[in-house]
Amino acid sequence: MSPKKLNLKDKYKLLTRDLDWEFSYEDRKEAFPYEEFEGIKITDWDKWEDPFRLTMESYWKYQAEKEKKLYAIYDAFAQNNGQTNVTDARYVNALKLFLTGVSPGEHAAHLGFAFTGRQMGGIGARVAAQMQSIDELRHIQTQIHAMSHYNKFFDGFDEFNHMHDRLWYLSVPKSFFEDARTAGPFEFMIAIGFSFEYVLTNLLFVPFMSGAAYNGDMATVTFGFSAQSDEARHMTLGLEIIKFLLEQHEDNLPIVQKWLDKWLWRGYRLLTLVAMMMDYMLPQKVMSWQEAWELYFEDAGGALFKDLERYGIKMPDYTDTIKQEKEHLSHQAWWIFYQYTHAAAFHTWTPSAEEMDWLSEKYPDTFDKYYRPRWELAAEMEAKGERFYTTGLPQLCQTCQIPMAFTEMSDPTQVVYRESIYNDERFHFCSDPCKSIFDNEPEKYVNAWLPVHQILQGNCGGGGLDKVIEYYHLEDGVANLDFEGSPDAERWKDWKGVA
Amino acid sequence: MSYQVTIEPTGDIIEVEEGQTILNAALRQGVWLPFACGHGTCATCKCQLVEGEADQGEASPFALLDTERDDGKILACCAIPESDLVIEAEIDVDPDFAGHLVEDYTATVSAIETLSPTIKGLTLALDRDMTFQAGQYINLQLPGIEGTRAFSIANAPSNPGQIELHIREIPDGAATGYIHHKLKVGDNIEFSGPYGQFFVRKSDPKDVLFIAGGSGLSSPESMILDLLESGDERQITLFQGARNGSELYHRERFEQLTEHHSNFTYVPALNEPTEEENWQGFIGFVHEAAAAHFQGKFADHKAYLCGPPLMIDAAINALMQGRLFEKDIHMEKFVTAADGAKEVQRSALFKRI
Repeated sequence: MSPKKLNLKDKYKLLTRDLDWEFSYEDRKEAFPYEEFEGIKITDWDKWEDPFRLTMESYWKYQAEKEKKLYAIYDAFAQNNGQTNVTDARYVNALKLFLTGVSPGEHAAHLGFAFTGRQMGGIGARVAAQMQSIDELRHIQTQIHAMSHYNKFFDGFDEFNHMHDRLWYLSVPKSFFEDARTAGPFEFMIAIGFSFEYVLTNLLFVPFMSGAAYNGDMATVTFGFSAQSDEARHMTLGLEIIKFLLEQHEDNLPIVQKWLDKWLWRGYRLLTLVAMMMDYMLPQKVMSWQEAWELYFEDAGGALFKDLERYGIKMPDYTDTIKQEKEHLSHQAWWIFYQYTHAAAFHTWTPSAEEMDWLSEKYPDTFDKYYRPRWELAAEMEAKGERFYTTGLPQLCQTCQIPMAFTEMSDPTQVVYRESIYNDERFHFCSDPCKSIFDNEPEKYVNAWLPVHQILQGNCGGGGLDKVIEYYHLEDGVANLDFEGSPDAERWKDWKGVA
Repeated sequence: MSYQVTIEPTGDIIEVEEGQTILNAALRQGVWLPFACGHGTCATCKCQLVEGEADQGEASPFALLDTERDDGKILACCAIPESDLVIEAEIDVDPDFAGHLVEDYTATVSAIETLSPTIKGLTLALDRDMTFQAGQYINLQLPGIEGTRAFSIANAPSNPGQIELHIREIPDGAATGYIHHKLKVGDNIEFSGPYGQFFVRKSDPKDVLFIAGGSGLSSPESMILDLLESGDERQITLFQGARNGSELYHRERFEQLTEHHSNFTYVPALNEPTEEENWQGFIGFVHEAAAAHFQGKFADHKAYLCGPPLMIDAAINALMQGRLFEKDIHMEKFVTAADGAKEVQRSALFKRI
């Protein structure tokens, strides 16, 4: 059997591995200066198994066709005034959270993969990372374009890029990606390529995309599908990198384990925003955060860790804590935003009676006991014209940068306080894993840009809250505060002909 | 109603039920295809349809573009056959795979031997020679029993006119019950073969080890005999596991082989030896015997595993802890109808093991 044309394997080989060169007169170590400093031992890059075989030529061809299709749907969406077909204007706040919180993460991932696509010594790994880098750039572009239509009709989108660098809650995703990008190439690959893009990706994308589908948002559903068609490559790359590192040298095992422990927790804390979005922000709910966690982490992730055990990898020991927190997380998070909505770029509200019944049904052990009374009190105060806001500034966790509001699972009325002393200075943490992440690399996390500290140091506009809001590029009474009475709500009523 | 789907370039054949996706059927029948999301959005499982008709199912328009649909591409995780199919998947053919054609044969039972209290040895004289690779299996058709049953060939391919099978009786098993209690010397039976991707990768010069449990000795026996007959000089180690001495069959045969071949080592292991046996050998599971023998270090070997799912799983864990990985581990899992009931969810981390 003599093939007339090259098969995919040979073609890919010629167009990737054959493009590498020997370092005959330069020191290879100088070409790849970051390859050894993390302690990872690579004995043979030839053992790298290409996770997918896509040549650059076909890559451009496929991506171009995807773009054509996607933009045709965006155009149709805009021409049909698709924004008027969403279930309720409150839904759009989930998109504001996505554009300000998630989309800039795509850009950070683009930069991160460009770095690893240069710095890993193996050509196969470099080509795969470069393609992912370009994908991530495409993702943020298509997301901005999808949202630009909403931007014409709703507040809170226009300054997303600026806000990402300044707003208190957006420092959570921003610092997450910056932590990954300031690590070495292999830690980045385990952090973003494996932990985030493989293990946790379904918990980010499925809730947002299904949320869009359930709430009549065709534009977002479509960019979701378009992005997901790239995810396959990202997922298989994530799998190959962890297998490769674990098979290359036994000394890599404890390093990879430490990274997994760190990044699964960092990713999980970041997903707090998704938990709250699912349970409180979607007018038409898809499933509860707890159900999503069980399906995508406990079942699918459980199967993965069972397979990883063969390499000696262990499930992080905090997963029991997460199991307990899944019944509390979204309620505690939405309460944070409800208290600080004057400094947020999206609207909040108290759940309706119907929504509270849904939450009682989904969280039978916790909602009625701990959270319903709180929301009922908040609604009562609102009705009396005494809407509750916290005017002070919260203490932030030094690692995840989320306000310290998560509670002890042994007593859900007590906020968790953990602390470490480093160079005679005291640092605070929302949880045991955040503390141990700090304790492993204190010299890194003492440099964290904590929004509350920056405000108090006068670096965020100086002066009082009004100056801070100005520094955030928030116009008071427009993109912030409660949905009820907002310009968004007024416009929506107008469209729908409701008085 | 079901359709037959042939997967090129390996030539694996699977039965796909009405309304079932190709991927679902393939994974359930032990045939690996590349996949990731499993629901039509990622396109990892994209295949070329060579012959036949299939419904594209729920394939996302972004994962399977219109031009690709026109070119006959399908997503295995969504495609539902509407006729018998031939598809080409992105899988590699093993250079050591000889690809002997599958044909139908009629055979006469020439001997039935009791190998152990639960295992019979069956010798079949074929109507004509069958070329096969040591390690492969046949699908046996038994009178009055629906469907076929797979059994590994235990003899070396050097005697192509007959085949030997080792068959353990499965409690309430229709086919194995028939073989153990009704089948007689002189009966005619039909089968097709040879099948399977379990064979020695001879082009790889590394030393080999075999881990066999119960009637899973069959394939390794064929493979070892074949290697030794051809004068192969690499180190060959066989670990044979059984519950007790009466279940440990063909022990003398392998002990004799060690006398004639200095490169062959035989390590039997019993996990529940009876007191009367006065067993002097290894006590414990067969994977523990292998770990003890190699001091937990398996790197630079090729490993071949054959036996029940629990044994295979334990052996893979032991090998990987000893730093031998998927690429160098080959296996034939003896799955019975009873094993299918407790399917465990697996991740996409491993392809074959």
